[in-house]
Amino acid sequence: MTIATMQGVVKRYGSHVALDYINLNIHEGEIIGLLGPNGAGKTTLIQTLTGITPFERGKIEIFGDSKNPFSNQNKEKMGLVTQEITVLEELTAKENLQFFAGVYGLKGEEKKKRVEEALGFVGLGDKGGKMTTNFSGGMKRRLNIACALTHRPKFLIMDEPTVGIDPQSRNYILEAVKKLRENGTTILYTTHYMEEVQAIATKVVIMDQGQIIKEGTVEELIKTVQHEEKVRIDVTDIERIPVEALEKISGVKKISVSGNQLTIISAFGSGNLDRILTLVKEHAGVLEIQADKPNLEDVFLTLTGKQLRDKEEE
Amino acid sequence: MRILSTVKFTALRMIRNYIVLILLLVVPIILITFFSFILSGYVTDVGIPYINENAMTMVVVFQLFGGSIVMYLIHHDLFAENKMRMYVIPFNQTMYAFSIMLCGAIYSIFLGILLMVYSQFVLSVIWENWIWMTYIISLVAILSIIVCLIFMLSVKNYKIAERLSELYGVGFVVLAGLFFPMPNHAIFEFLGSYGNPVTLAMGAIRDMSISNTSSAWFQANILLVVIIFLFIVMLMVGRRKMG
Repeated sequence: MTIATMQGVVKRYGSHVALDYINLNIHEGEIIGLLGPNGAGKTTLIQTLTGITPFERGKIEIFGDSKNPFSNQNKEKMGLVTQEITVLEELTAKENLQFFAGVYGLKGEEKKKRVEEALGFVGLGDKGGKMTTNFSGGMKRRLNIACALTHRPKFLIMDEPTVGIDPQSRNYILEAVKKLRENGTTILYTTHYMEEVQAIATKVVIMDQGQIIKEGTVEELIKTVQHEEKVRIDVTDIERIPVEALEKISGVKKISVSGNQLTIISAFGSGNLDRILTLVKEHAGVLEIQADKPNLEDVFLTLTGKQLRDKEEE
Repeated sequence: MRILSTVKFTALRMIRNYIVLILLLVVPIILITFFSFILSGYVTDVGIPYINENAMTMVVVFQLFGGSIVMYLIHHDLFAENKMRMYVIPFNQTMYAFSIMLCGAIYSIFLGILLMVYSQFVLSVIWENWIWMTYIISLVAILSIIVCLIFMLSVKNYKIAERLSELYGVGFVVLAGLFFPMPNHAIFEFLGSYGNPVTLAMGAIRDMSISNTSSAWFQANILLVVIIFLFIVMLMVGRRKMG
């Protein structure tokens, strides 16, 4: 079943094209990892998909409804985790959830149950009575997620939910996202951290300059840039390694030596690692072997010619 | 009906905003108490104790600042960081804004009444007509909220709107001649008689206390007409801003 569809959606801010003929299909049970650098158009895509920002051209369909995709009926089945922390600072964690549960029409015992459930889900079960002003950044982030969960949305949109938090909270959030999917929630997850997408997404959509430049599973995307294999071998007596003999092994394209490390680049799928190691071991001791595999960062670099995020951000 | 579920939390958010509570309750209590020591025993030309005049002034003047909390909550929920979350919720954002306005007005009026209760039972100030007094402070509170919202909806920078709302409060207090006498000029006289919510409210309360009901109603009705006019202006700028 298709949860949401965007067909040829265009959105401009003055002369800047924020969304350039976007086509996107989100199917039930998927975790779509929407990946792109800052300014790629991820947040604009979310704003148009949720009806916050009007679009100029194209068509959006939510839960099969293209005439009135942003009706209250559809909104009730959607949840949004905003990039900014949008908890109500003057309220406790529990009151925040009661506020959002209330506006989604939950009442009485059911409301109470859902609030406790959402608090427990994000690991704040014992912090419900605490004022959110006293929360750490990671706790606020988790509460921010819980606020979008009390009404058990079928389709959850998460806009960079892990920005600026500690690794522990980040892992907690990623695990929570996986659990949500197991419970049947379809998720659109935007980020510029490729390792997050690699960890949770069932499908990856790469955006840049308002366009979707590639989509597929992590493996499919990596295959598109996997032309060679790189192996690094740390050895004891590097001067005794027969570099010329190694170069003659089938598939080897390039060998470089640095310190006590040997870097061997071979053609993708050449399957020559056994022969390389046998030859190396005949002449020196092997200390460590590292095989570098391409990741989504390499995919992005190949597709756009630029890094996914600035080095300072890391 | 879903908006009703938010009212309790809006009230909690207002009560827990301690700066507003200090401004609208603690500061006037301190000032009324302080002046009650200085003015104790003195009476005006018409024989009313100065302490009564002072308490009335404080109750009215601090209502001018009652709109700030409403402006703050509406800005943060519908025009700033909470905007995205609030716009994906299946409820009417305009009705939500009105619910905050209503809560803010009731809160401001309630604090005004608390001041009256304090001054009557602790400082023996005599409030002759509680209903009329409540009506007048309601008008000033509602006017303040509408004016603040017009500022917030009209300017792009919220900080500027905040400064304008402060200017509105302090400006009318100055123009009412409460800090120092205003020059003898037709413009100041006109403003004092018809264009200043502080002098209109105080005039309406004074006139009612001496049974000059027609003049009291006239001044209160000026406030009411201004409220209606500015409410329409607020709806227009609000519609433009909310798109």
